[in-house]
Amino acid sequence: MKNRLKVLRAERDWSQQDLADRLEVSRQSVNAIETGKYDPSLPLAFRIADLFGLPIEAIFLKD
Amino acid sequence: MAANPAQRRYVGRMIPISLAYIATVMLASWIIPDDAAATPLTVAVALVPALATSGFIWAMARYIAELTDEYVRMLEIRKMLVATGLTLALASGWGILELFTDVPRVPLFYVFPVWCLGLAVGSLVNKVTIGDGGPCP
Repeated sequence: MKNRLKVLRAERDWSQQDLADRLEVSRQSVNAIETGKYDPSLPLAFRIADLFGLPIEAIFLKD
Repeated sequence: MAANPAQRRYVGRMIPISLAYIATVMLASWIIPDDAAATPLTVAVALVPALATSGFIWAMARYIAELTDEYVRMLEIRKMLVATGLTLALASGWGILELFTDVPRVPLFYVFPVWCLGLAVGSLVNKVTIGDGGPCP
């Protein structure tokens, strides 16, 4: 699944670690999600959406 | 990867369990003579270290249950699945060899250490397939 995490993070000038801290996950998790190696669970996807103030479908896109 | 709270608690549990394991194995070796008959006393003494090995398994189960990072948990579970698959394949393969040939009998004691070695293989599989070996608590 594609996602816009890297762009959204860059717009806020957050590092992967900054985002990881805000989501209370490891930096490796953020990296894996961002690079499309791992699709987050629905609860984590909602946390990400809430953090950016966007609906999930504005962050995660179908391939 | 920096240690998360679940990893720290895991290490905190494994150290005393390992010390208990070493102490009870030494104690059993001291109390039970070589090739002793299986009496209620020798069986009871010999099973004390088994409590510690069960403790290792309990600590690992707690570690997985307490991991809040779902990605790290997935990596750890994949490692355990690889280890379990390898151990079952090796144990059943060797068991069949023992049934049909005169290969040396391998004590069941080695099943758990082989599974632990399988975790390292699982980490390698994670590294190759996902690009991330996962934590090494």
